[in-house]
Amino acid sequence: MTDVWINGTAMVQTGRHYNLNMDEMAARVLDEALKDAGYPELDALFVASATAEQADRQQMLGTYIAARLGLDKVATYRVENADGSGGSALMAAAMAVRSGVYGCVAVVGVDKPNDVLSNQQQDIYSTATDSVYERYFGVTPVAQAALMAKMYLSKYEYKYEDLALWPVLMHKYGASNPYAYIRKQAKIEDVLDSELVSDPLRLYDVGPMADGAAAAILCGRKGVAKVLGMWSSANAVPFNARQDYDVLYSAREAAERAYRMAGITPRDVATAEVHDSYSILGVLAAEALGLAPRGGLLASLRGGSEVRANLSGGLKSRGNVMGATGVYQAVEVVWQLVGRGPFKRVDGSIGVIHSMGGVDATSTVVVLGL
Amino acid sequence: MRAGIVSWGAYIPKYRIRTEDIAATWGDDPARIVDLYLVYEKSVEGYDEDAVTIATEAARRALRRGAVDPKRIGAVYSGTESKPYAVKPISSILIDALGLANNVFAVDMEFACKAASDGIVAIAGLVESGRIEYGLAVGTDTSQGEPGEHLDYSASSGGVAYVIGRDGVAAEFETIYTYNSDTPDFWRREGSPYPMHGEGFTGEPAYFRHVVGAAKGLMERHGYKVSDFAYAVFHQPNGRFPMRAASMLGFPPDKVKPGIVVTHIGNTYNASALMGLARVLEQAKPGDKILLVTFGSGAGSNAFVLNVTDAVLERQKADVPKVDEMIADKIYIDYAMYLKNRKMVKLFE
Amino acid sequence: MEHESVPLYWRNIPSYYRLAARRCRKCGEVYYPPVVKCPRCGSSELEDFQLPHEGELVEFTVLRSVPTDYMKQKPLVIGLVKLGPVKVLGQIVDAAPEKLKAGQRMEVVFRRVVVDGKYGLVMYGYKFRPRP
Repeated sequence: MTDVWINGTAMVQTGRHYNLNMDEMAARVLDEALKDAGYPELDALFVASATAEQADRQQMLGTYIAARLGLDKVATYRVENADGSGGSALMAAAMAVRSGVYGCVAVVGVDKPNDVLSNQQQDIYSTATDSVYERYFGVTPVAQAALMAKMYLSKYEYKYEDLALWPVLMHKYGASNPYAYIRKQAKIEDVLDSELVSDPLRLYDVGPMADGAAAAILCGRKGVAKVLGMWSSANAVPFNARQDYDVLYSAREAAERAYRMAGITPRDVATAEVHDSYSILGVLAAEALGLAPRGGLLASLRGGSEVRANLSGGLKSRGNVMGATGVYQAVEVVWQLVGRGPFKRVDGSIGVIHSMGGVDATSTVVVLGL
Repeated sequence: MRAGIVSWGAYIPKYRIRTEDIAATWGDDPARIVDLYLVYEKSVEGYDEDAVTIATEAARRALRRGAVDPKRIGAVYSGTESKPYAVKPISSILIDALGLANNVFAVDMEFACKAASDGIVAIAGLVESGRIEYGLAVGTDTSQGEPGEHLDYSASSGGVAYVIGRDGVAAEFETIYTYNSDTPDFWRREGSPYPMHGEGFTGEPAYFRHVVGAAKGLMERHGYKVSDFAYAVFHQPNGRFPMRAASMLGFPPDKVKPGIVVTHIGNTYNASALMGLARVLEQAKPGDKILLVTFGSGAGSNAFVLNVTDAVLERQKADVPKVDEMIADKIYIDYAMYLKNRKMVKLFE
Repeated sequence: MEHESVPLYWRNIPSYYRLAARRCRKCGEVYYPPVVKCPRCGSSELEDFQLPHEGELVEFTVLRSVPTDYMKQKPLVIGLVKLGPVKVLGQIVDAAPEKLKAGQRMEVVFRRVVVDGKYGLVMYGYKFRPRP
């Protein structure tokens, strides 16, 4: 089997891109990534998007992105796992190269949730929950995350002020990331005073919906960073039926298997981008990746340690670019490994991305190394 | 063997609005309104409740109280004048909501407030003819009055369901009588949100003529005296009409008061007299005779003589909410919340 | 005119109206939502199982950022309620959130869930409220 290397990367600043269609936005960032890779011949395009159909009424987004660049005859695949589409598309792309079928493929993540109103954003996001048994009754991902937050804080005897340390840290990192949507620092008072979204989660616990597009070129020939391990795992137990609510089962499994494939342990991880669609999920993801003991992350934040996760500012600062998130994470981890601006080179050669769909419905973990 | 009530269940939504809060909005003198109607507060459905949900809760309670196997119900008749649909049955929804068999007569009935008791009559017939074993008659309403108009002080929400059969009867139908005529005292045209009514015309020519006509007709034809009855329960559009009807028939107030529920929950329309009956059944003793007279505008009344049996004691002990408990279980809302709950605020569609 | 799928609602009536779960005839495990094969023992022999209409509150949250259908009903109280052998996610109604406590007894009620505009179907289903 062929090794898989990331040869080119590109991303745009996230936020509100009212003036760009999805396919155009994606095409532009794809072109940038191709340029970064030296314009290799592209065999296939893997498109990650959570909102293409529901917000912009577009199926087969890949074919239309290809049309904007004249990439005739390229194979196009649409990968959807809600806000975990990015990681899934990345892994699909990597598997395609690893199999030897394709020489170079692109993975492009694009979503424009700001094309619709905030209540419509919740409508779309709630289609990531069980449509018949959850969405129908008004359950949304933030409600599920809030239930987990309540139970986690109670179980480990934390106060909300402890959870608030996560968004404060995310804002600190995001403040130095010009690609992020929200770049202002946050004091703990800002978090505590912010309006309730679904208690105990407040505005600062929620990654704001943001438009974005990012792309990575994966080839069989040597590039900037190598895919050392990857795994995707679904948590097939419905939210209501889960045993424990202080663990992300899908993230834990995906991380374990991806680390095993890469031959690493959590100690080897120099940088990680995890899926903090909500602060509590970021905390749980970091623990699932072994960056802190179960139930222990907030205690270590409280004690003054900084977790080496989400140097981009995570979904908190980057915003929730939905399906594009996983691709952003890949670009950011590569830049953190090599020291490409705005990121300083991290101390180590291994980076991990954790991309998740819904509230622990499915996770993809990809291990990248120099 | 005659058919009778095997079990009953009632449901009153938790929310209440006081007469004085409605009066304050529309410039009425609350003291005068209370004096006119003797309605102090009325029940209001929650935003997510309607005649169907109320019917379901009442029916579930009726089945539970009598420990009746839903699969043995052979008919479900719903009487309402506030269906969410002009065309679509709610009896069919009850089949699935209660887990009834499909081989069940399912009928929606309309005769203003009398419809539910028409269902009782029909089911009694089906039971006595041997065509069904048990039947479920449900009265449910979330009727509205025009805002600012007097009817809105009493128009309220509630539901009552009766399981009728021949086995396990707690109150037997000894006699049934009816009195109907074309008397347009109150109606609602297709597409109209609120009913029209004839104010004073709803009294003598309508309510009293038919209620008293039915009661008198029943008593004369079958030789009953007032003293035969322990209780008299009447349809209750307000707190005054039933007391006056009672006095016209010679019933002393203390035989009527136990069946009066309107003063603190308002007029639940199809559930009105039936709710009064449920309250009476929750305190009646074996051997008691009850006179029940319903009324529906348009107009007509059904009159029933019920004989309470020993089985009522078992039903009274069942772990199912009682009418008085429901009347007391309340949350007050203001007029703005009232309009919101009743979906009377104009929104984008 | 866009409207909600009627077959989608109709076929889920046993769940929505009666909380009909499935139980594995072989190992006895109960599943809600219903499964096709028992995840525990792999058996395909599943039978209908009626969940009790009473239970206890596991946890709840007051959701303020609501989907379109619920904009006029916010905030929604979303709760996880244990009904017999399973937990069920749903709305809690007729209760002030300040008075709710994990562990308290709850009962199932039958309510409107979604109304499909002015002309479409009224869709019903279960919700929870504190048991008096």
